[in-house]
Amino acid sequence: MTRDFLLLLPLGIVGAGAILLMLRSALGKLTLEAASLVSMCVFALAFIAQILSGTIGHVSPYGSVFNGMLMVTDFTRVAGLIILACGFFTSMSSQSYFKENGFATVEYYSLIAFAVSGMLLLTMSQELITAFISLEIMSLSIYILVGFNRTCVTCAEAVLKYLMLGAFTGAFFTMGTALIYGGLNSTKFSAISTAIAAHGFLHLPALVGGAFFIIVAFLFKVAAFPFHAWVVDVYDGASVPVTGFMATALKTAVFAIFANFLMLDPGLKSAWVNYLFYIAILTMFGGNLIAIGQNTLKRMLAASGIVHTGYLLIALVAVSADHFTGSVILYYLAAYAVSTLGIFAALSYLTGNGEMRSQFDDFKGLAKKRPYSAAAITVFLLSMAGIPPTAGFMGKLYIISSAIQAGQVTLAVLGIVSSILSMWYYLRLIINMYFHEPEETFETECSVFGPVCTLILAVAVFAISLYPVTI
Amino acid sequence: MTKKNIRKGALDIMFAEWLFFGLAGLSVLGAIGLILFRHPMNGAMSFVVTLISLAGLYALLSAKLLFAVQLIVYAGAIMSLIIFIIMFLNIQEHDLPDEEGKGLFLLGGAVVITPIALFLYKIVKSLPGSDTKIIGNGFGDVREVGLILFKNWLLPFEIVSILLLVALVGAVVLAGKKGVGK
Repeated sequence: MTRDFLLLLPLGIVGAGAILLMLRSALGKLTLEAASLVSMCVFALAFIAQILSGTIGHVSPYGSVFNGMLMVTDFTRVAGLIILACGFFTSMSSQSYFKENGFATVEYYSLIAFAVSGMLLLTMSQELITAFISLEIMSLSIYILVGFNRTCVTCAEAVLKYLMLGAFTGAFFTMGTALIYGGLNSTKFSAISTAIAAHGFLHLPALVGGAFFIIVAFLFKVAAFPFHAWVVDVYDGASVPVTGFMATALKTAVFAIFANFLMLDPGLKSAWVNYLFYIAILTMFGGNLIAIGQNTLKRMLAASGIVHTGYLLIALVAVSADHFTGSVILYYLAAYAVSTLGIFAALSYLTGNGEMRSQFDDFKGLAKKRPYSAAAITVFLLSMAGIPPTAGFMGKLYIISSAIQAGQVTLAVLGIVSSILSMWYYLRLIINMYFHEPEETFETECSVFGPVCTLILAVAVFAISLYPVTI
Repeated sequence: MTKKNIRKGALDIMFAEWLFFGLAGLSVLGAIGLILFRHPMNGAMSFVVTLISLAGLYALLSAKLLFAVQLIVYAGAIMSLIIFIIMFLNIQEHDLPDEEGKGLFLLGGAVVITPIALFLYKIVKSLPGSDTKIIGNGFGDVREVGLILFKNWLLPFEIVSILLLVALVGAVVLAGKKGVGK
């Protein structure tokens, strides 16, 4: 019983923190700085609780009360750690961002905590309706965060697009759930896997249809190829810390549930592997094409997020459903989260009021004026591009070697080609920062949090690369 | 069972089947109207038709509580809020956007949706069918639904409260007065 409590403690801490922040914001006695400190403390506490709750194997906390709808495994625990870290660093860099941009209220931090609690639930859920509600908790908080700045027109456009497409996703997910319930009389993952084991996946038409709609919903959320069109505008419209949060924490949570769902049974996975193979390829190259054409940094990062989704899909294709540990996926998610959060943390204090510094040209000569920030951004970009001593390189190495082990040599080769292509737009920014004279000079005053956050993440890029993973 | 009773039972089932097709058709018509009407008010009204016929379908399935809730909450409370807002905005003919090429978009949408619809039709046909008849034993009552909700579905029930809290905060943030709380 104590163990069950400990396993759900991080979720409890984050939920309680979110409600606390919400209540304090209603009373109006908390300053923004204090609110960001409180939310950082909440995430740090939850992170420590998550580490200390060490388990091995599969545990269903409060299985009899919750009817086995949650499941904690090592996979979900590590995914939870990544999400909590994303929440922590987002709160930290938001503090600097809102020194310059004054549209935040305390509710902002409360919504981040709510979103994180939804994501934690999403990683653990073993039942489709629970998964749907968690998905909606997460998405709803993020819609609001995207539209937080009510004076900005692009934000309004972004939130409307995101809300509409998110509603579509939700509808697809519920439709899939209804079909699976109609066919199997249950929405629990365990019931789905027993049914597949008993009858075979392709002999259950309702399950095939349901799984199709649910997988479409997941592909939508991670911005995979045919459903990637929204991502550039939405990421561009959201404020810098929110974009960073969306790009990392949301992707981690959705990939966790996606992997959990797909790995239910080897039959389910093998039926979709061929489609995922093509989707992975198209996602990588489509993302690269979009990224090459962008002129603002945020849009480029959004498009490169699509490419990284492609690599993660390679990992999904390559892992085996028999002994699923998901270490490769989690490693790549952690590496990607660190570099992306890092670059957004640096942007949060570099962009200035109203995100003035956004074009590639605005970063010309940054290395002369702000050598440390430019160096940190270079580290993050090199990690995303996959240059050797960084975490991003190791992540790609693990993904590609697991693809080769699984016999998907074509995917491995195309993954390498795509990562070479992606150098084009990552190096472009580095060249702008180092090999051009500064054109315009404007300085941003910032609190100490943003730079410290960037520094920690830059160190983490190298620290994570040293962490060994067994494929 | 006498012969008369059997015939009556068969008639009941047939009647229920016709009722099902009628209500299903109405709900689809309402949804089509929601898309096709130009004025949002007409759209909202035809959406009411969909919601009410869905309530009828729930009643056919003996889901009494769900039937009442659908009528009171969706067709009643939520739709009147939506209609209230539309009336509040006082939308005139000249406020409506130009919908050039609407037919083309609809055609494109239909082309995209047709394979999905065929796919769905195949799946739904594969589901085991059963007769529409009244299920006894208090099925669909408040008591039965409540027991299931709090015994088997406790976790989703609890986390919906987080979702509602998020919606509440969102409404305050997005629709509240600007500049309050800084």
